[in-house]
Formats: sequence, C-alpha cells, structure tokens
Amino acid sequence: MDADKLETIRAIHDSFDKKQTSVVEVTRYFLDSIKKNGGKSGLNAFLTVCENRVLAKAEAADQILSAEGKVPRDRLPLFGIPLGIKDNLTMDGVRTTCGSKMLDNYVAPYTATCVQRLESAGALCLGKLNMDEFAMGGSNENSAYGPVQHPTQPERVPGGSSGGSAAAVRAGLCVAALGTDTGGSIRLPASYCGIVGLKPTYGRVSRYGLVAFASSLDQVGPMARTVEDAAILLDVMSGHDPRDSTSATVSKGAYREALGKAPETQAEWSGIRIGVPKEYFVGGLSAEVQKSIQSSLRWFESKGARVIPISLPHTEYAVAVYYLIAVSEASSNLARFDGIRYGVRPAEAENADDLAAFYRKVRGHFGPEVKRRIILGTFALSSGYSEAYYRRACQVRRLIKQDFVTAFEKVDFIAGPVSPTTAFKIGERISDPLQMYLNDIFTIPANLAGLPAISIPSGTEAPDSLPIGFHLIAPPFQEERLLSLAHAFEKRGAAR
Amino acid sequence: MAIWGDGAMADSKVEAQKLDETLTRRVADLARLELSEDEVRTFTSQLRDVIGYVEQLQEIDVSGVEPLTHPLEPGDSALREDRVEVFEMVLTSGADSLNEGYKVPQIL
Repeated sequence: MDADKLETIRAIHDSFDKKQTSVVEVTRYFLDSIKKNGGKSGLNAFLTVCENRVLAKAEAADQILSAEGKVPRDRLPLFGIPLGIKDNLTMDGVRTTCGSKMLDNYVAPYTATCVQRLESAGALCLGKLNMDEFAMGGSNENSAYGPVQHPTQPERVPGGSSGGSAAAVRAGLCVAALGTDTGGSIRLPASYCGIVGLKPTYGRVSRYGLVAFASSLDQVGPMARTVEDAAILLDVMSGHDPRDSTSATVSKGAYREALGKAPETQAEWSGIRIGVPKEYFVGGLSAEVQKSIQSSLRWFESKGARVIPISLPHTEYAVAVYYLIAVSEASSNLARFDGIRYGVRPAEAENADDLAAFYRKVRGHFGPEVKRRIILGTFALSSGYSEAYYRRACQVRRLIKQDFVTAFEKVDFIAGPVSPTTAFKIGERISDPLQMYLNDIFTIPANLAGLPAISIPSGTEAPDSLPIGFHLIAPPFQEERLLSLAHAFEKRGAAR
Repeated sequence: MAIWGDGAMADSKVEAQKLDETLTRRVADLARLELSEDEVRTFTSQLRDVIGYVEQLQEIDVSGVEPLTHPLEPGDSALREDRVEVFEMVLTSGADSLNEGYKVPQIL
C-alpha cells in the first residue's frame, strides 16, 4: 500500500472514492504498522490496541462504501479514518490506564464525548496512546509503562504529556490523534515531533470522559500532520456538551471551511497584526529555535502582516502560578484514586489496620512525579499556607490573563516559540523536576488564560533535523482565524 | 478526622526554605500517600527547590486583585437542568462491588 496516500484525511478519502483501497485494508495497514513499530519493542506509543473493535467498524464502513459508491463526506467527515486516542480519554469497554499502574486494570464503562463524536462521524479508533502518568510531565518519561521514543531519534523524548499521540502521528501509526493540554501537553510534543497540535479555547471541547488532572486548565485537542486535518477533527468534536458544566455554550465555528478564508492578497495580509512578546525571547531560548522563529516572523512580514513588539509583563511568573494551581487541583482530583471508587487494590492493602492505612498502601502505587505533585498541591492548599500559595497564585493568574486582554486590544495573534529547545535526550532532565517545569514557560500562559494556541512545524535543527514548532496564540474562541493563519503558514513552502 | 480546618498545619509557620522531612511526612500523611525513606529524602529536597522558586510570587502587589480560579467568562457556559438519572455503570469503576455498593475491606 502506498504510504503517502494514507497521510491525510483527504488522501485516504480520495483512495476510497477511487476504489484503490478498502477501509479494512487501510485499517489493517495501520494495525500492522502498530504491531511493527508501535509497541514495547518499537516507539512504545500504543498501550492498548482495539483490533477486533476497529476491524468490525471497518467492515461496516466498507458496506456503506459499496452501497453509496463514494465516501459520504458530508454525513461522515471522518469516514474510515484510523485515529489514536490518548489514554486519559475513556472508551466504553476499553482499558484506560492514564499511564498509571493505579488504573492498570480499569476498563471504562462509557465513552468520552469527544471520542464518541469522532466515532459518530465515522472515525476508527485504533487504540490508546501512551502518556505521562495522569498527564503529569513534558517528556513522556513519567509513564508507568515506560518512555515513548522520539519517532526519528530513538534516544530522545517525543515531548509530553501527549508523547504517544505525537510519536504515533509522526511515525504513521495513525492518521491523527487526540491529545490533552494542561500546560502544553499537546503543543510541546507536536513541536518536538514535527506535527500540528492545537489546544482549543478552554471549554471548546467537552472534558466529559477525560480523567481530570487540573480541571481549570485541561483541554482536549487534535494532533495531526496538517492544519486541515486538525480543523476537521475540531469541527467534529467541539461544541457544547450538557455533561460537562465547563463546556462552552459559545457557538462553534466552521473550522475547515475557515481555511479557505486564509489571507492571500496583500490587502488581506496587511490587516493582520501579530504581536511578539519580548518576554518570549529570553535567556534559555536556544539559538537555533530563536533563528527559526525569527525567520518565520520575517515570512509573515514579507506577506504584508504587521509584526508588532508587545509585552506580557507577568510572563516570568507563569510557571510558578501554574505549578501551584495545577498541583492544587491535581491533589484534589486524584483523591478519588483510593482503591475503592477507583484504582487497583494491592494485596498488602487488604490487610491494612484501618482505612487510612489502606488508602496509604493503595496510593503508594502512584509514580514519583504524581506523588511529588500531590504532596506539593496538598501543601499549597493546606491550612496556614493556602493564602500564601494557592490564593496568591490565582490572583497572579488574573494578572496574566489581563496581560493577554490588553495585548489583544493591539494585536490579532501572539507568536513565539513553543519550547526553549528541541527534543532532549531520554534521562537528561529527569532528576531535576524544576528544570523540567521551566521548559513549559511558553505554553503555560495560554492554559492559565484559557486561550486557543497551536504549534505548527517551522523548521529543523541541525545535525539531527530535530523539529522546531512555531507557536500562535489567539483570543478566546477564535479558532477559525487561528487555524486559517496557521494554514497559510503551513502552505508557505509549497508557494515558494 | 478532618483533613482541613483542624489547624494542624497552621501551628507550624514553617518557611518554605525550611521545608524539612518532617513536613514532607506530615503532608504525605494528609494526602494519604505512603512514601519510602528514599522518597522522603528526594522529595524534600526537590520540593524545597520548587517552593523556593514559587516564592517569587510574594514580590507582586496583588492587593485588590480578585483570584481567578477559572478561565471561562460569565455566560460562556450553562448548567443543565437538574434531573435524576441512574448511572448503574458507576460501580463498575471501583476495584470491587457487591450488589449496589462498593466493597471495602473490613474496618471494624
């Protein structure tokens, strides 16, 4: 089978229309690729493969295809498209581990709204993707099931926490995938692996069926090879869900359609103002990344867009604010893993003297990063400290959001790097959590303010051709404009 | 036993820089986490780094700033109608269940 005909939704649908391949054939191709390269002996990207479930759906799709003669795109925009799902999103009857031993045997009794919407639009979910335990991490080294390898440089990390998703998409183990982004967990691995990753506005995609890490920050989003595919996935899965009280009632856009409105003429481009925060070009930013971002900005200028220096003065506090708020929410959310409502019940816990001792035994099975964050969060929320830590962090969060509100009075988008560096080596930073946290400096602010943001491949770093991601942030619920600008940027190579 | 509000933590105004192994053990106990001796040592030093780092927030003037706990603006979301629905599947999420309840180890 011709692999480049299987890279995008459009290409696969064309092959179906031309009867060059069947849905079952395409599905088997991806299942074989996962067997060869997706498991423990390969990238370690897939934790669970739903072979029978997905083949049954593929056979049903082939019947539709032979009855209708062509892909029913309007009714089923993801018809026959094999996807991967991050393992913190539930699928009915499928194991959902969250990358944790705590949920090693957890089989979800219901399907997450976003996944259910993808399947109702014809998508075929191949399986569940590896991730940092409970999405806590930026390198995928915190998975209880072992690290995911970078898809082109096996000794390096793919980024995290949606590292399995990014590696699988880049390596061609699925056409696109779902990730989740609490502090950069979609955009960072997308940047490290050279794919497109979109974190939608907080509330744009339902979190029902997403195992909560930090409820005021978590958001589900698409990871794909092209902006168009990301837009198609967002079209399908966004919109209000009565099952999630934080899902927005703001009407959704027509995201794929919006790509056709990408700026083309000089006049259209001259109406676009891109803000570049001086705080995003500070010490620690690698020279190669900085060069790539500046060359991307020059491209926008050459098209006629106005690139405007701006300031987001509270940026330097974002990491501190984030790590207090995220861990506080996590310590509360993860209280449910007590071995009774959720969680494994190890043999030694059964003999515990009392219930408190039972909980301690059960919860001792969290991995080190999760324990570290629960302890930090419990500390930040505890009586005597919560004023100084949690409450103050929430106050500074408002100042950070206000920085963006002020900036967006003068500009339409904000641009910069996704990460200070390209993919680092496995093991290189694991012993220094603070250093690892500081890596999220450019992605965290969009989560704190709830803004949509995207990582688009912008170049590579020599000598290993490690991908570099370009970061665009937009005002709330402006995904249509964000995707259309990203689409124009993505096409720049072809137009040259 | 109340986890919060009994003033247990308030008695000890330990500065973040002085975060020691006793405090790590105490917080871990509040969070119902069993830690090994190695973990207590490593976490104490790592948490000291992180708490030391977040101390920088103390330098900002936040007087009169309302805490932001959630990024949604008023009117962005809506609560659904309050209707009773039965979710039988909930119990299957636990480690063990019996009839209509969770099964827990004997505690008395």
